[in-house]
Amino acid sequence: MNKTIPYWNPHLETLPRERLERLQLRKFRNIVRWAYERSRFHRALYEKAGVEPDEIKTLEQLRLVPKVEKSMLRPIQNKDPFPYGDALCVPLDEVTEFHQTSGTTGQPVYQPDTWQDWEWFSECWATLLWAQGYRPHDRVFLPFGYNVFVAFWTGHYASEKIGCETVPGGVLDTQARILKMQELRATAMMATPTYVLGMADVAQRKLGIDPAKDLFVRRITCAGEPGALIPSTKERMERLWGAKVFDHAGATEIGAWGFECEIQPGGMHVNEAMFLAEVEDPDTGEPITEPNKPGKMVITALDRLAQPCIRFDSKDIVEISPDRCPCGRTYTIFNGGVIGRADDITKVKGVLLAPSAIEDVVRGFPGLSHEYEVVVEKRGDVDHITLKAELAEGSGQDASSITEKLKTELRFKTNLGYEIQIHPYGSLPRYEVKAKRFKDLRKRGDA
Amino acid sequence: MTRQPTQAEIAAQVDQLQRIAQELYDQSEDFPALNRNLKRILASIHMLRINLEEAD
Repeated sequence: MNKTIPYWNPHLETLPRERLERLQLRKFRNIVRWAYERSRFHRALYEKAGVEPDEIKTLEQLRLVPKVEKSMLRPIQNKDPFPYGDALCVPLDEVTEFHQTSGTTGQPVYQPDTWQDWEWFSECWATLLWAQGYRPHDRVFLPFGYNVFVAFWTGHYASEKIGCETVPGGVLDTQARILKMQELRATAMMATPTYVLGMADVAQRKLGIDPAKDLFVRRITCAGEPGALIPSTKERMERLWGAKVFDHAGATEIGAWGFECEIQPGGMHVNEAMFLAEVEDPDTGEPITEPNKPGKMVITALDRLAQPCIRFDSKDIVEISPDRCPCGRTYTIFNGGVIGRADDITKVKGVLLAPSAIEDVVRGFPGLSHEYEVVVEKRGDVDHITLKAELAEGSGQDASSITEKLKTELRFKTNLGYEIQIHPYGSLPRYEVKAKRFKDLRKRGDA
Repeated sequence: MTRQPTQAEIAAQVDQLQRIAQELYDQSEDFPALNRNLKRILASIHMLRINLEEAD
């Protein structure tokens, strides 16, 4: 096999746009027809909207097909065919994989997959790992608690599919994982940005190991949180590990739809041979086709069959780049990857605030640790933001001078004023997987 | 130097693979070790077809 080929699939990844869009349209019609004929949920939805699959003749007409939100899937589950209910499109005997969403926004959604779907999901991951430089000579370590959440399961299968030696670092604590990575000279790993930073911290403080010098990891794939495309967080991770850090986006109900390639163009490619991503105005629902304008992504997984994902409201905020990537892929790039969540981007004192903008500022301060927390609350009738940050271990810096610099930088980047609290090292909560750093106490349930 | 097969030639060979695997699968109901492995092979062949798909 020629390992120098930059594409996992040289045919699809470089398909001219016009052919790619025709392929998407045909696949979209097929998946809509598949769901219409097999899922009681989809048939009822489409009949109510008066849509017949064969009516869709152009990509513009796909908007006739109603969107699906996660909240619509919850009430149809826990029924026969148990536990998936009305959206299941295959006989229950065909289902070989069970996963579920984390349930952070409510009752978890169950996700069935057939073996064919699983092949497809790991193929999407193989596309991204190959694009990030993974090759059969790599020894890939997965410091991940293998469980009901899909997370890095398909990363594991894709790593095997590529031919990498794949090491499951499941039921080990962080120190044991680091020591195993050192012992085996692992060359690559996959984790959330929170855990990548946390591992480096543990390696240095508890084991006296400098990941950049004493370990052999040269590429890291991140998922689950936006950090790998937040410039200062990416820079921190790359410096601490001496490795290239790449972002990837996906979801249990969707699949692995986006990836940063080895060029690191400041954004993420959409795997458009397997997914059809639309961007729409979060308020009006009108399509956004022009570049550099943020909107909400509505996405279709074009080949996932057991429980189809058709025009799914992802709540991810993305922005189309006007540029094509020098890597040669014809796939669209989203500037900065997923730049926020529709439910996270919030108005404070009338100004739109994205939590990622705060992270970019905080992680840009070398005198601060990786941990921080933002609390938005009402004081009287006025919105108030508190940023709690932590001094880096052994930092001799004066908290008051950092406070002033942080205030200035945050006002410049977000147009808002903050109360800054600088805490001693080790006093803010630590997170193992995904962090909950942004707390909007004005919303019920976040208190 | 060996000639690289065209996309259409590869697709035709994949079709052949699928025909053979499907035939064996249909005949293997009483042989679980064949039946279940063929099911996986058919899934992989389907992935080959997706990977070679064309617009029309």
